[in-house]
Amino acid sequence: MIDYQLPKLYLKLFEWFCRTELFEELQGDLEEAFEENIKLYGARKARNIYRLEVLKMIRPSVVGFGQFYSKFNHLIMFKNYFKTSMRSMMRSPLSSFINVFGLSVAIGICLIVYAFIDQDISVDQFHKNKHEVHVVTAFSNEDGELLQYGQTPLPLAQMLEKDFPQIDQVCRIEDLGIVLKYGDKVFHERVRMVDPTFLEMFTFPMQWGDTRSLKDPNSIILSDEMSVKYFGDLNPVGKDLLMKFEDEYIKSFTISGVAAPFPKSHAIDFDFLVNFENIRQAETAYDPANWNRSINATLISIRNPSNIDVISDGMDAYKLLQNESNPNRPIESFALVSIANLHAASNDIINGISYGMRKEGWVILSIMAGFILLLACMNYINIGIVSAAKRLKEIGVRKVIGANRGLVIIQFLAENVLLTFFALLFGLFLAYSTFIPWFNGLFGRGLELVLMDIDLWIFLFGMLLLTGLASGIYPALYISKFQVVGIFRGSVRLGKKNPLTKIFLTFQLILAFIAISGGVWFTQNNAYQSTRSWGYEPSEALYVDVPDQSAFDQLYASMSQNPNVLSISGSSQHLGHGMPKVTLDLPDRKYEVGQFAVDAYYFETMGLDILEGRAFKPNLESDKRAIVVNEQFVHNLALQQPIGEIVKMDSSRFEIVGVVKDFHNWDFDTKIQPMIFKVAATKDFRYLSMKVRSGKQSDVYQGLREEWMGHFPNTPFQGGYQEGVFSGYFDYLDSSAEFMRALAIVAIILASLGLYGLITLNVSGRVREFSIRKVLGASVQSVATMITKQYVLLFVLSMLIGAPAGYFLIETLFDTVFAYHMPMNYSGLIISACFLVSVLLSTIFTQVRKISRSNPVDGLKVE
Amino acid sequence: MKGSNLGEFQEIVLLSILILDDEAYGLKIQQELSTRLKRTMSRGALHTALTRLEEKGFISSHTGGATAERGGRRKRFYTLTNAGKESLKQARELREEMWSLVPKLGLS
Repeated sequence: MIDYQLPKLYLKLFEWFCRTELFEELQGDLEEAFEENIKLYGARKARNIYRLEVLKMIRPSVVGFGQFYSKFNHLIMFKNYFKTSMRSMMRSPLSSFINVFGLSVAIGICLIVYAFIDQDISVDQFHKNKHEVHVVTAFSNEDGELLQYGQTPLPLAQMLEKDFPQIDQVCRIEDLGIVLKYGDKVFHERVRMVDPTFLEMFTFPMQWGDTRSLKDPNSIILSDEMSVKYFGDLNPVGKDLLMKFEDEYIKSFTISGVAAPFPKSHAIDFDFLVNFENIRQAETAYDPANWNRSINATLISIRNPSNIDVISDGMDAYKLLQNESNPNRPIESFALVSIANLHAASNDIINGISYGMRKEGWVILSIMAGFILLLACMNYINIGIVSAAKRLKEIGVRKVIGANRGLVIIQFLAENVLLTFFALLFGLFLAYSTFIPWFNGLFGRGLELVLMDIDLWIFLFGMLLLTGLASGIYPALYISKFQVVGIFRGSVRLGKKNPLTKIFLTFQLILAFIAISGGVWFTQNNAYQSTRSWGYEPSEALYVDVPDQSAFDQLYASMSQNPNVLSISGSSQHLGHGMPKVTLDLPDRKYEVGQFAVDAYYFETMGLDILEGRAFKPNLESDKRAIVVNEQFVHNLALQQPIGEIVKMDSSRFEIVGVVKDFHNWDFDTKIQPMIFKVAATKDFRYLSMKVRSGKQSDVYQGLREEWMGHFPNTPFQGGYQEGVFSGYFDYLDSSAEFMRALAIVAIILASLGLYGLITLNVSGRVREFSIRKVLGASVQSVATMITKQYVLLFVLSMLIGAPAGYFLIETLFDTVFAYHMPMNYSGLIISACFLVSVLLSTIFTQVRKISRSNPVDGLKVE
Repeated sequence: MKGSNLGEFQEIVLLSILILDDEAYGLKIQQELSTRLKRTMSRGALHTALTRLEEKGFISSHTGGATAERGGRRKRFYTLTNAGKESLKQARELREEMWSLVPKLGLS
């Protein structure tokens, strides 16, 4: 006997993974061979052979974890747990439904949030060189605030390329509004002028044509969307497009490529791409060395990451150059932002090529989803505790046959994870089939759940563990605590006296309370926003974009004949359509304000109220040095006597002659900014606006369009109702209110279901008691009062906490999301209180009805 | 059914069980095969083949008495069933028939 020489570890390993019934035979053979091998080759080699043989035993026909099973027998018990939990789920379909349904709705909502965030962080991540390509941004001090700009001086790119050998490629981007013509199709378009390196830095594969064609200044590349707009499904490569630049210069471009459709998650894209050199034709005063001229973006590609710091440090030298030629907006420093980080940072970058990621959206959505998930988990905990009363005997039997407390806990948790698993599948289905399409319809976002995405499954697995354990651990601990003797003697009082059930219910009611009042308030705020005064009268105003003065004159001549037109005005800017900034020279600092250049009739036409002073006089020359300011301007500069004040602008002096009431030039999410009006030169008129007789808006609009078609068949019509300028914003508001309402409804359903389930279980647990009471002559009313009494205190308590909490929470939310929201009121609180009370009463009513109709004999028979 | 066709390895295993007769248990079969095939073969690989053969009904097994040199563990002996013998015979006939059809030239 020399078995002590057997490699112990390998023997153990073999014993562990080998099927129990095979172990004797196989280990016998191995051991016999081992001893022979000792004689043949010596102990050392024999041991090595043994090790090898054991490893080679790892094959399907041998591996069975036989020993493992017998040592951890509760793994076998899982099969049994599965059966018992299926049975208990079937036995109380109501509470199982409440649990599974509630959890799956909550998980479905969490999946919306997941898809939302997932989409947000994957924006522009498909570019192969996203870590190498950097956007140059400039920091500039604006009225005491350090702001980051995406726009950079025109000569910067070429300077960088010349000075830094570490830079592999540079690319300039400038966007230009042009008129594009193909056949009889004429549209206003934005064309992106870029260096040929653009398509090497970004990954935009071509569907037709060649990326290298961008080197040719006469060729143009289209996006898929634009190709479809002009040519349908045809391949347009080789066709010519006519482009009209702002100064009437017309140039023909040959289509040399069409990009493949852009991925859904992108912020940077293009409609048309042409070579940057076209800027020479587009701009008569083009000067490549003009540091005062800034372009939309300057990109550099740095392959070696260690060079990034060298370059950003070295760029300080350009500050001087820039600031000498443009002293109005001195640059403090430059910073590089890689394409991979651009979307996340773009909220802080002004005028960048990428648009922002709304982190507030993440936070708000996550809070809501967490809210709903919490509600659902609490439902589970409550119902779990109460319904365990029905399973006490089972637990008792398990304990008697040898389950310790840990095993009972494991059993309950396993059941719970199973239930959560069902909820997860159903929630995934809900999210996939209903929630996400609904969300996309509301907000026009292309959210999607990619079922092949591994991250999604990691998230789901995390959800499974989190919700499964969070909702199950307390009931498991609570139930497993009871002593066997107590269970069988029937002395265990479950559920009714448990203070935690009451705390959870209260908490749940508070959450529901907040959710319902939130839904009410959001709806109300929406109504408020849509009727909020814009500060002027948009309903009677029409406007149209005119290309030049002669067009203005022609339209003016014909429209002034129309008896329904009350007044006509010309302006360089128009309310709701962008506002250039000008810098005022105040004695102590520079101050930036928005500027509108208008004629004397503009205030009357748009219904702007002059609060103090006067509007411009019709003779344009006389008011050349006069300005009208808004209330915000007066407020910000703390002017006591605004009329007659002098401000300096472009080294000229202007006198304030009037103050106009504050009005919304942007949507209500944006604070009203200080603005000034000055007199526009007739040759600079770009907008024609009209005030029309009320009720005749559409007639005049039709007339306007016809006039336009008659005069300018080759220029697209760009005009409309002034009321329509924020329609996108109001659509968005409607959508978010609908979303809030939907969440409120879900919260209501969950809370009601929870309440209903709890009361029902509570009543059914006391059937015997009620039956005895009935037999002894208790009236229906007294039974109803008895049940109600339990919950009244909870309700009062939850409302006392929920009302101020909800009020405060929603007010904070409003303050962060909307710049102007409705004044808070109490109707949300009242409505939600009424609602919850009515749910409580109707639930109790159905239960009492059931008791009053039942035969007490049946109730007494219940064991 | 997976079919009653014999793989080449399985055929050799069956033959060595026949050769070993009363002494046909795991280790002996393994050693027999290793010397015949002139290459080492693990006990695990043999076990898989034996399981297959038993599933197909070509062999049957019974446990013998305990032996001291095996740490007191019992041996499992294998014997061919009639089906096993039949399929061996078929395999042999198939081969001989095919050999007879080979033109003499082919072998030179």
